[in-house]
Formats: sequence, C-alpha cells, structure tokens
Amino acid sequence: MAQFRLQGSRVLAVELAGDAVKARNGSMVAYTGQMSFKKLTGGGDGLRGMVTRRLTGEQMTVMEVKGQGTCYFADKATEINLVRLNGETLYVEADNLLCTEATLRTGTTFTGLNGVSSGNGLFTTKVEGHGWAAVTSNGPAVVLRVGGDMPLRVDPGAYVAHTGNLHRSLKSGAGWTTVIGEGGGEAVQVEFTGEGLVYVQPSEKITIGGDV
Amino acid sequence: MGFTRINGKMVEARVVPGQRLFSQRGAMLAYTGDVRFTPNITGGQGGVMSMIGRRVANEDAPLMTVEGQGSVLFGHGGHHVHVVDLAGDTLYVEADRLLAFEGSLQQSTMFMGSQGGVMGIVRGQVTGQGLFTTRLDGHGSVAVMAHGGVFELPITPGQPVHVDPQAYVAHRGQVQNKLSSALGWREMIGRGSGEAFQLELSGQGAVYVQASEEKL
Repeated sequence: MAQFRLQGSRVLAVELAGDAVKARNGSMVAYTGQMSFKKLTGGGDGLRGMVTRRLTGEQMTVMEVKGQGTCYFADKATEINLVRLNGETLYVEADNLLCTEATLRTGTTFTGLNGVSSGNGLFTTKVEGHGWAAVTSNGPAVVLRVGGDMPLRVDPGAYVAHTGNLHRSLKSGAGWTTVIGEGGGEAVQVEFTGEGLVYVQPSEKITIGGDV
Repeated sequence: MGFTRINGKMVEARVVPGQRLFSQRGAMLAYTGDVRFTPNITGGQGGVMSMIGRRVANEDAPLMTVEGQGSVLFGHGGHHVHVVDLAGDTLYVEADRLLAFEGSLQQSTMFMGSQGGVMGIVRGQVTGQGLFTTRLDGHGSVAVMAHGGVFELPITPGQPVHVDPQAYVAHRGQVQNKLSSALGWREMIGRGSGEAFQLELSGQGAVYVQASEEKL
C-alpha cells in the first residue's frame, strides 16, 4: 500500500512498493528509486470518466505514477492536506486534488445550479473508497465540523473540499444594498447542512464566475 | 558568523570587521550598526577574468559587498530562503537563486555542459537552467532562494535522485548530473505525463528541491 506523508507543509512524499498513485500531471518534483509516469487518458477511470469530464468541464489531467521508492509531489508551493478515506466520499474542486491512491475511485458529480452562481462550476470531483488523498489549499486549510442545527456558511472562493453527509445550498448574505452595488463583497455564500467536515482555505481564489 | 533564520523568508547576518559578505544587489531589507554596501564591479570574487567568465556564462546576477560592523537582514521578492552551511565542500547554485554568502567562500563559475557533452547542451535548452552554474567552495554559509519551502534529499552511491528541472534549486557534494528522459517519443509530442525530463543526480551529496515548479 502506498504510504502518504508530508515533508514540511508543502511537499507530499509517497512511498511506493510496486503499487501506483494517481497524481496531477507534472506535479512530481523529485524521486528516488524507480518510477514510471504514464498519462491517463482523459483523467482516468476509462472512457466513461473521460466523457463525463469532457462534458462537465471538470478538467483534470492525471498521470499514473508507479514504482519502487519515494516520489515527491508539490504544486505551486501550496499547502497540502492529507485526507484518509474509510469508505466515505470526498468532494473536492479538481484544481485542489493533487494525488490519490490508485485504489480510490474518482468521478465527477453534479452540484446543481449552486455551482454556477458560486462560480465554482457545475461539477465537483468525487473521490471514494479506502485510502489516502492529498488536497492542496492556498494557505493552511482549517477543517470545520458541521453537525446538528449548526449550518456552516463558506465563501465560495475559500471552499476547498468536504466529506460526509452534507447538503450544500447557495445563500445570499446580502440585502437590497448589494443589489444596487453597495455590497460588502460577501454577496454569496455556500451553506452546508447535515453531518460532515468542510475544508476552508485562508484565501479567496478568483472563481470562474468572477469576484463573488 | 553565518546566517540566522528570522522566518521562512528572511535571514540575519552579523557583519564583523575584517570579514565581508556578498549579497544579491538590493536584497538588504534592514540593517543596524556601521555597515557599508558597495556594488561589486568584479561581480563577486576572482577578479576581472572571473567576471568576464560570468558575463559570458550569463551567471552575472549583480552582487554587492557588505562590510563593517553590525547586523543585516536579507530577503528578496518574498521568496523562501534556505541556509546551507558548507564545511569544506562545494555547493552548486544558479546565480539568480543566490541571496547572500560569506566572503570566506570561494566563488567560481562552472560550465555544466561539459559533464554531458551534447546532452549537456540539450539540458541547458530544455531545463532553462542554463549551461553555467555558480560554484561555492570552502567553509561558510550560503543563503539561497526558492519558491515555496526547500527540502533536502541525500544522494548516496547507488541511490540516485531524480529531480524535476523546474523544482531543482541547488546541490552539493561530489555529484554527477545528467538529463534523463525516461519516456519514449510519444511523450515528446505532447501526450506526456508532464514529467518528460528529469535531472538525474548521482554520487555523494545532497540536492535541494523546492515545493513548486515555478521559476523565481
């Protein structure tokens, strides 16, 4: 089984003993031992995965890294968070998924119209199974627990990933002043209800919907 | 002497009379005491011949000499700074990644192409690392810059390290380097995994790798 560990906060070290991981294309920074790098057509998971990716625009070029030794991954000096999945599902923006064990299944999921207005797109990447996944964040991410009657509201640009049984919906945090352009810059938020964990980064990326 | 780490992006150097430092021009952030900064027309050490060598080699990041008595803070461009202490061994680093180094170190320029013949020239073109590298020898401290944090990987005989050329920062010791392309022609024409070229470092020493594939 591939062993995931952090080398500092910005480098992921994966020990491989003949097994494989899936990683973002070009994210290897160094390795010792024997490694092979193979591009996975259309982001992996066969033809169906490719077709859905094409359709959904949840683009991600993925490579399979296989070998014997230690492989180091990093992406633009962003912080790396390790997520251990024991049968649950991780929802993550494709831009933030760095590496997963090959035993984990990745797919694309429809987030509903919420995605559009939050600027993150209609689809999110879904990772499920048993094993490690590495998620990047711009600055150290905080993990916030959602449960009971305590919904969590997150800035769409600061949202990175979530696990658990969560429902997400879009909330307008603004009154009529926002509508006429007098807003506080926090017009839209994503609300999470249910039980689960939400990863939030201390940075607000520019979303495809613009500065929301 | 040596450099004291203030935080990930700043180091402090103590300057004492009779010992000088070299730093990249404009890298001084603050200082206390009686410290003089003079542009180094010879571009570091080794006199005019060495300067010409560096000009030709495109390893001529402008340096300044720091002398006097006091303490100086160095940092540049918000890049991460990593301190390497040399104890009689050799560090190879590109001039533009060199933030500051102690005057006790011997500076020279090394032609990297000779190590691999034609492959060396190809390496310069492909990696964008250039064919020349600055070489520092002796006893003393060096502060190098990187995008993101730096980690050190040991290189031992029989245990070579492969590094993404863009993530390579510097290396030390008795190390041979060559460009390896582990992939076939199919990968060359744009269908690759994005890991088409790697620097293979073998021998005895260590390599410094940054947590990013962005050049400075």
